[in-house]
Amino acid sequence: MTRVVGTNARRADGEDKVRGTAVYGMDHGVTGTLQARLLRSPVPAGRIRRLDTARAAALPGVHAIITAADVPDTTSGWILKDQPMFAREEVRYIGEPIAAVAAETTEQAEDAVAAIELEIDPLEPLADMDAALADGARLIHPNWESYPMLAPGPRSGNVAWESTLDRGDVDAAFAAAHLVVEDEFTTQRQHQSPIEPHAAVGRFEGGRYVVHSPAQFPFLVRDRLAEWLGVPASKVRVVVTTIGGGFGGKIDAMLEPFVCVLARKTGRPVRLVNTRAEELQTAGPRENARIRIRTAVSAEGEILGQEADTIADNGAYSGEIVACAAVPGLVFGGTYRVPVARYRTRVVYTNTAPTAAFRGVNGPYAMFALEQHLDHIAAKLGIDRRELRLRNVVKAGESIANGQVLDDAVFDKGFARVEEIAPWAEQAPSGNPRALRGKGIGAVTWLTNPGPGGATVKINEDGTAGVICAGAEIGTGAVAVGLRQIVAEELGLTPDQVVILPADTDAGTYDGGAQGSRTLFSLGNAAVQASTQVREQLLAVAANLLEASAADLELADGHVRVKGSPGAQVPLAAVALTALHTAGPISATGRHITPPVQFDSGCLTGALFTGFATPTYHVHSAEVEVDPDTGKVTILRYVVAQDVGRAINPQQVEGQIHGGVLQGVGYALYEDLRVADGVTLDASLESYRLPTAFEAPPIDIALLDNPWPDGPYGAKGAGEPSLIPVAAVIASAVSDAIGKPIRNLPITPFDVLAALREDGTTEGSTR
Amino acid sequence: MPHSFTVNDRRVEVEAPDMTPLLSVLRGPLGLTGAKPGCGEGRCGACTVLVDGRPAASCLTPLALAEGREVRTVEGLAEPDGPLNPLQDALLEHGGVQCGACTPGILMALTALFERDATPDEAAVKESLAGNICRCTGYHKIVEAALAVAGANGGRS
Repeated sequence: MTRVVGTNARRADGEDKVRGTAVYGMDHGVTGTLQARLLRSPVPAGRIRRLDTARAAALPGVHAIITAADVPDTTSGWILKDQPMFAREEVRYIGEPIAAVAAETTEQAEDAVAAIELEIDPLEPLADMDAALADGARLIHPNWESYPMLAPGPRSGNVAWESTLDRGDVDAAFAAAHLVVEDEFTTQRQHQSPIEPHAAVGRFEGGRYVVHSPAQFPFLVRDRLAEWLGVPASKVRVVVTTIGGGFGGKIDAMLEPFVCVLARKTGRPVRLVNTRAEELQTAGPRENARIRIRTAVSAEGEILGQEADTIADNGAYSGEIVACAAVPGLVFGGTYRVPVARYRTRVVYTNTAPTAAFRGVNGPYAMFALEQHLDHIAAKLGIDRRELRLRNVVKAGESIANGQVLDDAVFDKGFARVEEIAPWAEQAPSGNPRALRGKGIGAVTWLTNPGPGGATVKINEDGTAGVICAGAEIGTGAVAVGLRQIVAEELGLTPDQVVILPADTDAGTYDGGAQGSRTLFSLGNAAVQASTQVREQLLAVAANLLEASAADLELADGHVRVKGSPGAQVPLAAVALTALHTAGPISATGRHITPPVQFDSGCLTGALFTGFATPTYHVHSAEVEVDPDTGKVTILRYVVAQDVGRAINPQQVEGQIHGGVLQGVGYALYEDLRVADGVTLDASLESYRLPTAFEAPPIDIALLDNPWPDGPYGAKGAGEPSLIPVAAVIASAVSDAIGKPIRNLPITPFDVLAALREDGTTEGSTR
Repeated sequence: MPHSFTVNDRRVEVEAPDMTPLLSVLRGPLGLTGAKPGCGEGRCGACTVLVDGRPAASCLTPLALAEGREVRTVEGLAEPDGPLNPLQDALLEHGGVQCGACTPGILMALTALFERDATPDEAAVKESLAGNICRCTGYHKIVEAALAVAGANGGRS
């Protein structure tokens, strides 16, 4: 039994957020701050012939203008270090920074940007992946071989990164197959679009750069700044503000280097905030992709072998897509038994804005492709679609395509819970008698990012606990409430008695960032380890005060007490004060790293993620109706069965699921960040359509209790995965309704109508 | 141009051009950063304030249109050192806040609704949020919180 873990405690930052007093990156103010704006490339590819800032620098209010000439000639990046801070000789995408201005007001900075004289000799842009992969295509990075890498990987010219998974005799499986099915799918860019745009305020003090920004992964931002600015990482301090949403888009450095250099040049704090148009057009979205997949099956629908070829658009520079290049293969071969597999993912440079992490990086389109492909196989074999999945889905103890054994897979439970909530053979009520009806169901394995973390726990002299860590509170509540619950549980406190310092790279130990569902998993483990030591320290001091053996003591209700003797207790405050004069202040640090995944190491190349660390299991189903006159898709019912290990705060987990599903609905039906000829066409939320309250479908949630022995109180990661299956199961449901395959996302009313009119049939498919 | 109006019942005088966005005045000279500059184009609703009781996107509201009116922002919903109001409290109780950047606008839209109708149903709640984007929560827990307040007011929750 736990006392605090498992309850719906309130978040510590909640009051400030509902009162409007929380200070986000966009709100951060320092007296004397100058305002910055960027000059960005107006063309997708070209060579800078002339860049003259002299007239602009003389305008009223302008304090400094910086260009590539003012910063070290280096490139930076997380895995593949290919990105300069400013375009130096060549520009590679529309929106690439060329100069930065600091002025008294934003308007003056904008005027100065407009006055900078820039001449570019345009190059023919390689606007899409086909152009970039064509034989003899111009190299977007002529010096690609010279870029440093965090870890080596296969690369070549316009292929920024390649990852392969090759295991077993695939050709033999295809030769022996009853049936071979092949499909191709394309998916679009999806923009994270947090309410808060990227923002940064920089200062230069004590010979160091100090930057305040809503950074998801402050240590990555620190390291990127150090690379670009040519200083040791210790010369950079990143202080994380309240974060107004990120979803992966605020993992990497974006505006921070410009305010740092401008602050040094001007001797003043400098602030830079993206406009919404800059957000959509330059702040990296989920990558567009094309997937070709081919499967050998038996007459009974057993998967005998599979191969898939994925190309994913990197844009002009590399971010997290390279880091996650192995993920599509893991998704293809990680949920249904694929005994032999050959997968390849190429991350391709184009003259478009760089793409970046978005919740479930590289996952949603892989699952979309796989599940539509399975529907195709089911139709060919005349097998019910759900039945096909049940025949192939991995059971506990079975291995997946990379050789990893999934000891705790709970797909059987997941399918069973979904069936209880929304039976496959039943229909939800509908108000539209003309509507076409359809259902979809699918499953996926996902991971908890294994990045490292640490936490220091101390007991304050009033008997409360303080936690120092660099975990960024991105909004999930992982730090603001989950971590407090864990520390409170450990130390016999209430969550209100646990105070957590906001993330700051000067204070907290290294943290792998608010990404990949890892924050509460990793920091929770670190905090449990620290709390265990803190408890020992407390008990040792209290043992003297209580004249009892430490083994007979326990922590409860803010006291150390003798087990079984209600009156014999001493408040934590007294223990902490006594410790100041006896054992020393009560404090300990814990740390955490997830052990490497055990897999068949010979089968993967170019893989930063080699398997599913701390795997989680997910089954989703969707029921839709399609209006045959308008093509409109309405989601009548949506069900999520999710393994979170154990929910530290069930209400916050539900919130993650609701939010992830609606982002997935956006990806499936509405959101399409259009790019043509290197131009990102969507510059405002008028044409880039985010789901509103009207689009939120009814969602039933079943949390599958599957405690993880190496998780804090059994918890696994819970943030990302609810987004991943949504487009897959909605597409299956729409396809079922209209009797036509869905091969592209998003599924717009125009696409639905066009599909319905292809040959006039509107019959349901194989169910 | 001098402009005179009230913000959260306090009389203010602001010297700025007529077309200055009300949001800039609130966040700049008036120091009220609760309303958020999410998009600057009236699409996201994070800057929603009440002007004479009606929700307005303050990023698109010219300062001149505030002249002589009552402007209310999220900071005015509760006394700074007093308890939360029922809507604020319900949002936290029901888990309707994640990153919180949309929350000030959501609260003002709901405040306008509840001042019109103390017991709105689900459709009315969703209607009132038509101009507010929340990217985190999927809206369910926000709607649930509003319906709980409606229930406490005697409506069917």
